Amino acid sequence: MAKLGIAGAGVAGRLLAYQLAARGHRVTVFDPAAGPEPVGDGSGAAGFTAAGMLSPLAELEHAPPEVAQLGARSLPLWQQVAAALAARLETRADSYLRCAGSLLLAHPSDTGSAQRVLARLKLAPALAPRLASPQALSAAELGVLEPELAPGMHAWLLAGEGQVFPYALLPALAAASEAVWCWGARVSRLSPGRLTLADGAEHAFDWVVDSRGLSSADALPLRGVRGEVLWLHAPGVALHRPLRLMHPRHRVYMVPRPGDVVVVGASEIESADRSPVSLRSAVELMAAAHSAMPALAEARILHLETNLRPALPDNLPLTHIEPGLIRLNGLFRHGWLMAPALVDDAIAAAGL
Amino acid sequence: MDTLHLYGTHLHSRLLLGSAGYPSPSVLAEAIVASATQVVTVGLKRTLAGDGDNGFLQGVLQTLRAQGARLLPNTAGCRSAREAVQLARMARELYDTRWIKLEVVGDEYTLQPDPWQLLEAATILIAEGFQVFPYCTDDLVSCQRLLDAGCEVLMPWGAPIGSGQGLLNPWALRTLRERLPDTVLIVDAGIGAPSHAAAAMELGFDAVLLNSAVAHASDPALMAQAFGQVVAGARAGYRAGIMAPQAMAVASTPVTGRPFLIG
Repeated sequence: MAKLGIAGAGVAGRLLAYQLAARGHRVTVFDPAAGPEPVGDGSGAAGFTAAGMLSPLAELEHAPPEVAQLGARSLPLWQQVAAALAARLETRADSYLRCAGSLLLAHPSDTGSAQRVLARLKLAPALAPRLASPQALSAAELGVLEPELAPGMHAWLLAGEGQVFPYALLPALAAASEAVWCWGARVSRLSPGRLTLADGAEHAFDWVVDSRGLSSADALPLRGVRGEVLWLHAPGVALHRPLRLMHPRHRVYMVPRPGDVVVVGASEIESADRSPVSLRSAVELMAAAHSAMPALAEARILHLETNLRPALPDNLPLTHIEPGLIRLNGLFRHGWLMAPALVDDAIAAAGL
Repeated sequence: MDTLHLYGTHLHSRLLLGSAGYPSPSVLAEAIVASATQVVTVGLKRTLAGDGDNGFLQGVLQTLRAQGARLLPNTAGCRSAREAVQLARMARELYDTRWIKLEVVGDEYTLQPDPWQLLEAATILIAEGFQVFPYCTDDLVSCQRLLDAGCEVLMPWGAPIGSGQGLLNPWALRTLRERLPDTVLIVDAGIGAPSHAAAAMELGFDAVLLNSAVAHASDPALMAQAFGQVVAGARAGYRAGIMAPQAMAVASTPVTGRPFLIG
């Protein structure tokens, strides 16, 4: 049994804490946030702002095969975690995660863009047998799955894909774990076996874990990639699964959340700017969402949010292990997608 | 030595590369190196709108320095002359270059250039000492107006940005080449395959500028290398003088025993 100090309570930090504590290790987590709940202003973990799509296949549109493979491994691992959390916290697993597939959509005029994406997705079966190929849907089939979509849209079902609900799952990982959670504690320095807080307090551990995202920029060549999302309140508008609109200019998704909320995202801008959502991004995201689901016209705009994705130069995740120190970072836009596989691999590689 | 002259700068590479939409900054850097390009264009509009660079641009600049290549800031995303002029001024201040790729979009869906706003912006920027690379349509008269305004380089489209359709109107491009023999002409946008770039070079264009064809390839670095090679090869072919085609195949050496076609 080891004594571990984890810096950073984002998706990776919380899942590491949960899994390590479940294995009987003594885990303490430090994070500058005031508590485990989301603040909703984009100042916290990128995982709160993220859509939480578990879509290894759809991400192949712009991510390398490694990401799809990690995603395909992670999906069943998230299902196990959700089931265990539900049992532990006496809730339902589907309050954390749902797997009803996802849809790729294209307007008839944009089938050229769709074909380009589908050509990339053809790689999938070779990468991971679990990933089914996109299945083209007839208008009737689409109407059954998602009745609110604009007529005439082309659609492909990615069976087996799913989504997590970050606002439920992140707090639950903290609540269900035996780890000690030190909120309001910013780690200013860390080295193998040693971790220093901003107030000067030093802590010694067998292992220190650095999963601080962008705050690890002192140690890693990280950059923040701006993402903007908005939340719509759309009571009575049925949406059952994540949608992605394929368009020559915009990359837009819509995901359902509890309480008749639809999250629409996301821009991807090479800028470390945390300022509020721009008019252009908001207009583009909303216009795209409305074009795919005209019923959203009377939805109310609840919330707009900007956050930064922590990315390394190759946009791939990094797991670094040396005696006494584990770094897990650079999850970029795929934190929810890949975290379970990365966490399992890191724990195994460190011999914990 | 066959060199490309861009506002007094002599370059041996005739491939200009865009930096948008790559899988990652590392892949972009590999593509820049593999292409052997000497000019890389970077869109600044969204990056400079807020706090500025997150390290991406600095990374590109580092790669360019190592390669002896130049930055060509662009005004992609601007819809009016006013917007484009402002962005060009900001780019000059930040990156210490008079070069600007002037892009003023008139139609958001096709990203077709707006000839009127483009001309207005070019006129203002040239008066301020900029060296303007206008992204324009292949219309001869609007190209002529840009030259009248003081542009020394023209960058007509081959097809809409990102479409990869190749040279949709070879006649218009050929006309430009014939009518503007002393102007540096670069096909910008619409190139999808190396053969499209070769076609542009064989028409006598001085260079090609492309982005998506490399960024969206399965192996961007390999595609960048392919474009570097094909552009150089097709340029050499153009200079070597391409044999005029004729209607019937003719063996280049006599075929023994079959001197005539009887029938």
